[in-house]
This record gives sequence, structure tokens and C-alpha cells, in this order.
Amino acid sequence: MMPSTIETYFNKIERTRVWRSIFRSGTGNSTLRNALAIQQNVFLHLFPTKIRKRMLDLGATWYLGTLTLGTFIVLVVTGILLMLYYHPSVPQAYTDVKDLRFVVSSGLFLRNLHRWSAHTMVFLAFAHLFRVFYRGAYRAPREFNWVVGVLLLLITLLLSYTGYLLPWDQLAFWAITVGTNISSAIPFIGAKIRFLLLGGNLVNANALLRFYVLHCAILPISAVLFLAVHMWRVRKDGGLYVRASEPSAGSTHQHASEELKKQ
Amino acid sequence: MQTKKTGFLSSLKAIVCDPFTMFGVVSAILLLLLTVAPAKDYLSEWRGYQRQYLTFIQNRGDAVTLRRHFQGGINQIWIPQLDVVDRCQTCHVGVGEASLADVKQQPFRAHPPIPHKLTEFGCVICHRGQGAATTVNQAHHSDMTGEEPILPARYIESSCGQCHHEPLEGTPKLNQGRTLLSRYGCVNCHTITLPDGSTMQATDFPPPLTHIADKTTREWIYAWLKDPAAYSSTATMPNFMLSDSDASDISAFLMADSTPDPADRISSPAASKTPPADPTAGASLYGESFCASCHATQNEAGNLVGGTLGPELTNVGTKVKPAWLLAWMRDPKHYDPATRMPQYRWTDAQLNLLAAFLENKTDPDFVANVHLQPATKQQIAHGKELVMENGCASCHEIPGVPKPENFGPNLSRVGSKPLVQLIFLPGMEHSLPAYLSGKIRQPRAFGASLRMPKFNLSSAQVEAATTALLSLTDRSFSLPANLQVPSTPQSHYEPAGQAGQLMSSLNCLSCHSINGHGGTMAPDLSWEGSSVQRTWLESFLKNPNTLRPTLIRRMPKFNLTDAESTVLTDYIMTAYQTPSFVRDEMPLTGYSPALIEKGRELFYSRYACQSCHMVNPNVDKGYIGPTLTDVGARLNAAWIFHYLKDPQALRPGTIEPNQHLSDDDANALTAFLMAQKGGAGQGAKQ
Repeated sequence: MMPSTIETYFNKIERTRVWRSIFRSGTGNSTLRNALAIQQNVFLHLFPTKIRKRMLDLGATWYLGTLTLGTFIVLVVTGILLMLYYHPSVPQAYTDVKDLRFVVSSGLFLRNLHRWSAHTMVFLAFAHLFRVFYRGAYRAPREFNWVVGVLLLLITLLLSYTGYLLPWDQLAFWAITVGTNISSAIPFIGAKIRFLLLGGNLVNANALLRFYVLHCAILPISAVLFLAVHMWRVRKDGGLYVRASEPSAGSTHQHASEELKKQ
Repeated sequence: MQTKKTGFLSSLKAIVCDPFTMFGVVSAILLLLLTVAPAKDYLSEWRGYQRQYLTFIQNRGDAVTLRRHFQGGINQIWIPQLDVVDRCQTCHVGVGEASLADVKQQPFRAHPPIPHKLTEFGCVICHRGQGAATTVNQAHHSDMTGEEPILPARYIESSCGQCHHEPLEGTPKLNQGRTLLSRYGCVNCHTITLPDGSTMQATDFPPPLTHIADKTTREWIYAWLKDPAAYSSTATMPNFMLSDSDASDISAFLMADSTPDPADRISSPAASKTPPADPTAGASLYGESFCASCHATQNEAGNLVGGTLGPELTNVGTKVKPAWLLAWMRDPKHYDPATRMPQYRWTDAQLNLLAAFLENKTDPDFVANVHLQPATKQQIAHGKELVMENGCASCHEIPGVPKPENFGPNLSRVGSKPLVQLIFLPGMEHSLPAYLSGKIRQPRAFGASLRMPKFNLSSAQVEAATTALLSLTDRSFSLPANLQVPSTPQSHYEPAGQAGQLMSSLNCLSCHSINGHGGTMAPDLSWEGSSVQRTWLESFLKNPNTLRPTLIRRMPKFNLTDAESTVLTDYIMTAYQTPSFVRDEMPLTGYSPALIEKGRELFYSRYACQSCHMVNPNVDKGYIGPTLTDVGARLNAAWIFHYLKDPQALRPGTIEPNQHLSDDDANALTAFLMAQKGGAGQGAKQ
């Protein structure tokens, strides 16, 4: 009776004082208890306590939002590991990248994983946006969450852009030179913005440091904050978007919106 | 078929739609991906080379030693002060193993012997390439923009030149290249600043064009401008690829710009009119005056014979006007104060003879087809524009045209020029050496509007010049000062007073060097006054001969008057003395026969001096060093003594070995040598 042994073992643990001081939703398998288990966890409380089982199918969402989050997590993990080898200073940045490529064990794999995840994240974020757009899931009451999502897309793009400078090679240097010059085309304040971004008038040590801070602190933290809002609003706005009450094969947009008005 | 497809689709759907199966599949893929990283690391290129190396050394006799020296893993030379991180030894495992010198198979060959330790500078400072990389492709030819590929071995001497600014014995190509940059006037248009702050100076001084109309014709200037190499294959003047009309306009301007110099009008009608009594007399005088020490001429076989200090004279009769030639030979410094030609004291008869001989050296074809219309004002004005556009005044002094500043790009750091800043020709190898040599070989191919002229250089010379340019790197400026081996600071020593004027007119410093200034053709005279005896010097100046049996005499006879040679001798004996000993501290004569005899024994048996020197020409066979038959009448005893003790201290670079003689031995040898006075009147053996 292996399974029941494990089960009793778990039950024993769940009854310990330590467990109960951490997880305060009580024991048992009641709906209430399960709902509380979600609600009272700081990480899980962002998610709906209940969801239609059908919405877990691939076809319902293509998992695009979750996959975007997944690449983000990969990026955070590989990014932290990369930070262990990288100095954001002019004499060292490029040599550090070379060391990662040629000497650090699996350093090349780490860097490539970071790079490909970044590309994938941009792709997935766009795919997510398009899917939400074409499904019409941005409409009331989800307008605000759409705006948060667009902000998250912008943060994703900025993360990609700021990360581009860090290898400190010719490609990086000129890409950032061109990019910041574009920002200086903004009327009246363009030159100031460029100066602010670069910490000077040239792409140099200050620019490298600023981009490093943006890439490794400011932007990821804002991404996490907005991600929390984004997912919390999914719950608050009525869970994952379902077309009308429940789609029939011939349901149309007209039909769906009428249903929405009734709600 | 249809059912099968549906079956496949449904099973795919079952996997994709079931979250648990999906989770399993994704996890399996992730696990597979994660094994790629260590696998790639294990199968990396450098590990392969290290395994290969271990198998390679297994069958060698020195396997045990080699295996003991072998260290697996990444091997690197790290020199923080020089910013060096070179991992080349990770694959080039045996590079420091002297016993692997015979190995053909790379990357296992030992490094050829060099004066530096491998760990002193690492690899990249000399070989370029990317030291941080551990794959062949990335280390030798990086795919990253702006990264230098490895330097082809034929340019490797350029790397020595980053620190060594003096000519080195082991870098003939670099030395030649540097000489070319100075000699061909490259540094007249391109500024080259060296790390010590000095600039490279030209060593060839093109003639001023102030009185050019006195010297030659417009037709010759035209033909010369069109193709200098057609007149003389050794011309340092480059080809500016001028069109016919441009060459005609420039020649018109130069003729119009020239002012007459009264001295050039002196002519002796007898000169070219009456043929000399002896047709070979002119040639003999040319030979006796050692014109060929500096000037080259083409012989019948088409080979150039002679020196390169002065212009080639093969076709000089086509170029110069007879009256100018006479005036020039009488007093070269009057026409060109910077000339290195000495003022010979030729008699009028000799001048006429020599002039007639030179005027016969013609190439009528050179100007035969040049027919120029008289110049118009517009042509002359256009000619002046062209002269300014082409930067003629960078090298030549031209009245009314100022010397342009920074006419060509500064080349002080051209050896580190990033590839991204270069525009290559289609099909050209994308590397700095290829660009530089291409630019020297075919400068105008890189753009029709470029002003750089085409120099008449052989491919070996182009390679040498490229080597010299490649040595001008950023690194040569950034290296710590204690690593720099600076060139000896340029001396501007000029002898003073009456003797100074005499030496300036004789241009002694064209061939001899004194106190760091002068030519390298003839011996350094800085300490000549300590070395030789007064009577010998005076007779030598009047009637020079050669001291070494293997060398032909180069010192011309200048026909000095008694007064002139006395002034010169007095000055040399007084001014050019070494501070290391007193010249007259040992007597010239009066050594005891016993001492002389002891010296003879040391000379012949202990030190075997006769292998290089001759004391008795009937017996001795040595011909490497100077003949010593009359050395006792030539050198001072104190000089001989101190020279025997330490030859290199008195004549740096001499091949005379330092035998570390005891004072007694040196004394005896000096006594023996001072007894060698030659036969009576044999002082001037010819």
C-alpha cells in the first residue's frame, strides 16, 4: 500500500505545527479549503481560485501568456548567473563576454540560453498581444489590463534593447548610438532624453553603467510589478476571457458582445 | 491512409491536450537540452587538441618529460600590466618545449627561438589575433567586427618595431621598410609621430626648383613628370598619373616660376666642343673620383652599378644643361645648400673632361616625342593649381608655393587602424596588411580623386614598407615606458669654425658619421683624433687609400691644398678624441725588442691574429680585418692598447673579438704592432 503510506505521511506533515503556521488554509479536501489555499498564498492569490477546466486546454489560450512568463523566469535565472561573470566597465565588459564564451564552463550555453529566451520572449509577448486582440479579449472590463499588457510589452522591448549594449562590441556600440540618436529626434526634449539615457553625449562608460542598471534592476523590477498587476487583474476582470457564456460553433462577435452586455 | 492520419493526429492531440503528458514531454526536452551544455564543453576543440597532443607525444623519446610538463585545461599567459590574456597555449601545448622544434604538425611545434621569453609578452602583442579565444577560427580570424585577425608571418617583424625604434639585426625587413618611408619621402606628406614624441624625418632631399630652368628643359620636366621611372629606374619621385595636358601645364608653371641664377651661366665653351685627347680620360676621372660611391649608372648588361646616395646618372646628359652641370660640379652647395655632394677641387680641365663624359650619357628617346606648344598664361596658372593640388611643395622647394601642412593623413597609428574604417576593393582580402600593401602598390585604384602617387617599388619593397607601417600601433604608444627602446635622439652636430666650413664644403658627413650625425657609408670619425697619428692622417687626406684588402677604396681624393689638409688634420686631431684615455700616454716608438718578440708570439700563437689580419703579406693570409703592415705608422699606441682590451667600447659593433687580454699581453701586442711601420715610404700603399 505504497500510495496510502505516502498519503498518511503527508497527512502527518500537514498536521505539524510548523506546517500549519505556514499554510493556514487548514486541512481537508473541501472546496473552501482549496479556495483558501489559493487565496491565502501570496504568490497564488494573484490567480483565480476557480477556473473552467476547458480553459486549461491548449486550444483555449495556446498558453501564450504563461509561456511569456516562463521565458521571463528563464531570463531572470540565466541573467543572474551571467551577472556573476560580468563587470559593467569599459575595460572588462568585452573580455568578460569573451571569457563566458571561451572559458567559463557552459558559459556559452548560458549566454545563448539568455539570448534565445530574450528573442522568444519578445516573439511570445507579441503573439499574446495579437491573440488577445483578435479574440477581442481587450474589451470591457479588461481595458486596463490591456494597457498594463502593452506596458509590459514595452518593458520587454526595453529589456532587449538595454541588454544589447552590454557585450560592448561594435554591434552594441553602434546600435546604441543609432538608437539614442533616434530618441534625440523627439521635439524639444529629445537631446535631454539622450543625455539622460547615456549619462553624457557619447556612448561610453556612463552609458554602459546606466544600461546595466536599467537592464538588471530597474526594468526587471518594473516588469515583475506590472506582471503582478497583470495577473491579479486577470482574476479581478473575471478570469480568462471566454467568448460569450459558452461558445457554440456558430457564435459570432455580434453574438458575443450582446452576451457581454447582458452580464 | 486517412484513418492512419487521423490516428496520428488524435494521438498528437492526446499528448498536447493532456497537461500531464505535455509536462512530461517538455521536461524530457529540457533535460535533453541541458545535457547539450556539458557535452559541448567536453567535446570542445581545445580538449580535442590536448588529447591529440598526448597521443602525439606518446611515441617520442622525450615522452616522459613532455608528459610531466603537460598541464590539461585552459592554459593562459596573463600579464595584467600589458592587458594580455592569451590562451593560445591551450591548443599550442608544446610551444615552450624546445625539443619539439622539429615537429611539423601544428599546433604542436615549439616556438622558434626569439630573444624574449614567451611569458614576457604573451602571443598577441606580436602575432595579433584574439588571445582570449579558445577555438582556432575565433583566435586566428575573429568574426567580430573590428577584431584583428592573426598577422601573416611575413609581416611579423613589424611587431618588434612596436618597442624597438632602432634598427635591429634580426629585422632586416622592418629596417628596410623604415628606410623606405624616409627615403621615398612618404614622411614628407604623412606625419609619423613616434612614441618618444619625435617625428620620422625624410632622408632624401629632393632638389629645390627655384632655378630649375637653368638646370633642365621643359621637355625633360614634362617627360619626367609623366613617368619618372622611364628616366631612371631608381627614381624616388613617384608617378602622379598626370594627363598630357596636366604634365604640360605643370612644366610650364615650373619654367615660368624659375628665376635665373647668375652662377649657373658660367660656361666654358671648350667644354663640349673639343673632344678630349683621350676618349677614356673622362671615364677614368669618373672612376678616380669615386662618383660611383654615390651615383649609379647602368652598364651594358643593364645592371645598375653604384651607390644610391645621389641620383642615377645613366641618362644625365638628357636632363641637365651643360653650363649648369659645370657650375654644379664646381660648387654644388651654391645651387642646393642641402645637397650631400662634396665640393671636389677639380681643375677647369678636369671639370670639362667630366662634363663631356656625363653629357654623353643620354637617352634620346626619353624626350624625342615631346613637342610642347609655348605656354599660355592660363596654362601657367593651371599648372600652379596642379602643383598645389598634388602637394609638390611637400618635397620640393618651389618659389611662391608654401609647403603644405599635413598633406596626407597622419600615419602615426596606422598599424592599429580598425578594419571597419577601411574601404576595401572588391575581391580584396579584408586585412590591414593587404590594405596597406594594396594602397602602396595601386594607390589610385582606391578612388579616382585620391592624390597619393604611385611609387616605383618592387613587391619586396612594398612588403617592407607595409611591415614598417604595421609597426606603428596604438600599443606602441600605450606600452609602459620602460619597455620602449627609443631610437637614439637625432643629432644635428655640425663641425665649427674654419674646419667646419671646409668639412661642410667636402660634405664629410654624407659618408662619415661624427658625434651621432652623418652617413653610414664610411667609418665613424668621432674619435679619429685619438686613433690615428697626425702624419698619417695628413698624408691620407691628400692621398687616400684603402685599409682593408676586401674593400674597394671609396674615399675620393678631393685635391686639397696643403693649407686645407693642415686645417682639417689639426681640427680632427684636437676635436675628435675619446674621453676614455689620453692619446699620448704611450710612446710611439722605443719598445724593447724582448717585448716586441713576446708580442709577436702572442700575435701568431696565442691569439692567432693572423687569421684575420696581415702583418707580413708574404706569409699571413688574413683578409677580414685591416692590413697591419704599417699599423705602427698609422695608429697611436694608446689606442691600440685600449682597443685590444675592449674593442667594442671604442668601435661599437666591430667584429674584432674581445679576448679579455691582461695588461701585460696587451702591452706586448701593442709593442709588436707599433713596430710595424711598413717599408720606407710605404705609408700610402695603393
